[in-house]
Amino acid sequence: MSFVEIISELVLMPLIAFVVGLMMVLMMRKISARLQRRIGPPFFQPIYDIVKLYGKDTQVSHGLIHDIGIVMAVGGYIGAEILLPVPGMEGIADKGGIITLSYFLMIPSLGMALGVGQCANPNGSIGISRALTAMLAYDIPFIIVVFGAAWHYESTSLIGMIEYQQANAWGIIEMPFLAIAGLFALQGMLGKQPFEIYIAPAEIATGPMVEMSGKYMGGLFVMQTFQLYTAGVLYASLFLGGGESWLDLLPKAFLVVAIPMSIAFLFPRYKTEDLIRILWKWPVMLALIGLAFIL
Amino acid sequence: MNLLDQFFVIVAVALISIAMLRNIKVNSIVSTLWYVLMVVMLARMSSVAYNADTITSAFSIELLGFRMYWKFTALSWFFSIITVVSALASSLFMSGDWGKQYRQQGGNYGLLQLALILNVVSMLILLASGDLLSLFIGWEFVSWASFLMMVLMPSKTAKKAAVKYVIYAIVGAMALLAALAMVYASSGSLDFTQITDAFIQMTDNMKFGFVLLFFIGFAIKMGLLPFHLWQAVAYAETPGPGAAFLGAISSRMGLFTILVVIVQFIGLGNLEEMNIALPYLNMKSLLAWIAALTTIIPTYIALQQHDAKRLLAWHGVGQGGYMLLGIMMYDSIGSAGGLMHVLNHASYQAALFLTVVAVVYRTGTSDLNKLGGLVTQMPLTFLVMLIGIIGLAGLPPMNGFVSKWMVYRSLLVNGEPLLFVAAVLGTLGTILSVYKLIHNTFLGQLRVEHQQVREVPWSMMVPMLGLSVIVFITGFMPGLILPWIASIQETIGLPVVTYHLGGIEYAKGGLDMIWVSGILFYGFGVGALIFYFLGGKAKRIHQYDNYAGGHFLSSEVKYHYSNNFYPGLMHLIGNWYRGSFKWMENVIVSALSFVSKLFENMYRSRQPVMLLVLVAVVALFSIYKNYSGAGS
Repeated sequence: MSFVEIISELVLMPLIAFVVGLMMVLMMRKISARLQRRIGPPFFQPIYDIVKLYGKDTQVSHGLIHDIGIVMAVGGYIGAEILLPVPGMEGIADKGGIITLSYFLMIPSLGMALGVGQCANPNGSIGISRALTAMLAYDIPFIIVVFGAAWHYESTSLIGMIEYQQANAWGIIEMPFLAIAGLFALQGMLGKQPFEIYIAPAEIATGPMVEMSGKYMGGLFVMQTFQLYTAGVLYASLFLGGGESWLDLLPKAFLVVAIPMSIAFLFPRYKTEDLIRILWKWPVMLALIGLAFIL
Repeated sequence: MNLLDQFFVIVAVALISIAMLRNIKVNSIVSTLWYVLMVVMLARMSSVAYNADTITSAFSIELLGFRMYWKFTALSWFFSIITVVSALASSLFMSGDWGKQYRQQGGNYGLLQLALILNVVSMLILLASGDLLSLFIGWEFVSWASFLMMVLMPSKTAKKAAVKYVIYAIVGAMALLAALAMVYASSGSLDFTQITDAFIQMTDNMKFGFVLLFFIGFAIKMGLLPFHLWQAVAYAETPGPGAAFLGAISSRMGLFTILVVIVQFIGLGNLEEMNIALPYLNMKSLLAWIAALTTIIPTYIALQQHDAKRLLAWHGVGQGGYMLLGIMMYDSIGSAGGLMHVLNHASYQAALFLTVVAVVYRTGTSDLNKLGGLVTQMPLTFLVMLIGIIGLAGLPPMNGFVSKWMVYRSLLVNGEPLLFVAAVLGTLGTILSVYKLIHNTFLGQLRVEHQQVREVPWSMMVPMLGLSVIVFITGFMPGLILPWIASIQETIGLPVVTYHLGGIEYAKGGLDMIWVSGILFYGFGVGALIFYFLGGKAKRIHQYDNYAGGHFLSSEVKYHYSNNFYPGLMHLIGNWYRGSFKWMENVIVSALSFVSKLFENMYRSRQPVMLLVLVAVVALFSIYKNYSGAGS
């Protein structure tokens, strides 16, 4: 791998992730609008939002850790993007693997938690307490799914997994139970209803976001675009055969992200303990059944 | 005199000089210098660690036909360097202002330094043991040295915990002694190699007893389930830097002996052949499951603590599980992870304990419900704690990630989904718990009474920073440590790991930490660019200038969320295991005290003479049986 290739991957991968993520945000808003019989925002609305948030006059900082928290939250995802292999750019992704990637995905949570903690607002801290509890809940099925996938493809490298699927059959066909359990975990990971107790605007004033203004909120917005992209591409790589080209990969990634959004409005919001209970019961059971089939 | 002899002479002189020196200042400086000298001596012996050599001490004792001798292998060297460096950090930490405050509060500083060096000496004796008898003697030394450290605190809880520890330790020693007797009975010698011979000759049932006796002895020291109850309180209730030292390395002596006796001489292959119930459960997988449960249960007990020291001490118990779990996987990468975790854990655990002690030094409390917002007052301590908790939680780029990654990778390769989930469950619980630790101490609202708190002095800052540098460097370049690990694996007969400076080479997915950390820091860099160079300028505001639903905040208002930090989770899992082990312990304690009361009563109130007659009759009868048996 040449120096130019490395640099171009380092620059391009997060950039693509950002653009795709913006479109995913737009898609999600459109879906929720259509479900509520609204028209929804115009095409460039996500960009307007980011520009507005970054350009605001009042930007309130509660201290250095508040800033660093946002940097860690965004930076952790940028690192994760580089470890996600995509068509034409998998040189650096080879250096990581699914275990490293799963751990990279926890760094933004920790970063955000640190930043919110510094704000000295109990609403934020309660939100973080709930968010971390939710992480504990959805990571258990997620990690069983990861184990199953790595065992089935006999590799911890995502590139190896994609190659296997393209040579044989897609993961969703060979491991349907694990794929469903993965979708469950995805719902929790993206914090969509019914698993959005940690935001709970009416109860804890949007929780972690309570003290975020201006570009702090903008940073979290950018983080969300990365999060959606990561979730879509990761799931597509694990179960939908990745992509031989971008035209192949992107529809899959968008489809994956569309699913949680489309079913989100069917549910009420679960309490924290019910959230753990449901995530430790059904998806874990499904995932274990799926494991039993492939082991 | 070879290097090992010189090393032990230095250690002995260090012990004597620290015991003799009455002047506090001189004592502080001298003891720190002794530890530095020990590190230098260990560095001179590094051929042991790099080439898997053995240095045998010229000194040996002949006693009743036993020959006791001492030697250094790669394994001893690895544990010794961790011990001595932890002691150096603790000693340096207490040598300055901390020691002054400790004396003002009525502590005996000289005794604390003496307890520290006694612990180091006894551990080194144990680590250098060349046969089972010297191992047992070293084992007892370690137990009593830790006890000395634990009773230094004047509090009642400390005394109670220390006594509890001693009872556990005696039980462990008895189990160990019984196992030794089994070796001696079968071979008439207490050489390490006799363990293997004795084991092969045994019947299946005896094998179980034999392995379990050894394991119980060692597991008690290491605080493995179900013997985990003594450790956390006993370690937490030790004077600050002493807790850091004990928490970092003391209980790992149990792992050392497991490695020597069970892994090297009994052999994991032999354990694998000991089927217990089903074809799925053999002795090795039983130990792996004990390890996995040890990672989970103590971690979730830690999550419920509201005292920072206890929280960390419970995590110390839990992390021991990862070490054993990795080793029990019996392959190159898992055992390397388990071994490496000993060093990694020692480095971040010592750093974390020292930060907590630093907070106690300034604020007088380690109660997580009485702190908060200290980051503005003690930024460097916060930094050390941040590095430490990232290590403890096992997130990249710190060293805890590397060793845990290896354990996970090994569990994946060996197809152990349930153990894998157990290990991850432990890690997730750790993340929750360490966030609570850092949030309740350093983040959130700063209390009025802490507004004058300043950063700790440099004598305390230097060891903390030094340890956090170790945490980062060994995470960034694990290849610095891995040659030592490879030598250990060669010495004790495990498959040897293939490594490079950045990490592990492994077919279908290795690890290169230089790349991983590089990518992560690149991500942070881009994140910082986006944050600092785009958008308007942020304005720093006071902590009371905060959203409070229309109320005005002032110093009167407590606006901090710390007590019962994870109510949802606790509501669900809080009752799952509450007290079940405590209950078991109480059952044993009350059963034993009942029996002892019974005998005491019988002896005191009934006829002592009759009892004596009874005993005499039984004795005479058994002698008669014996002789008549011999005659026929």
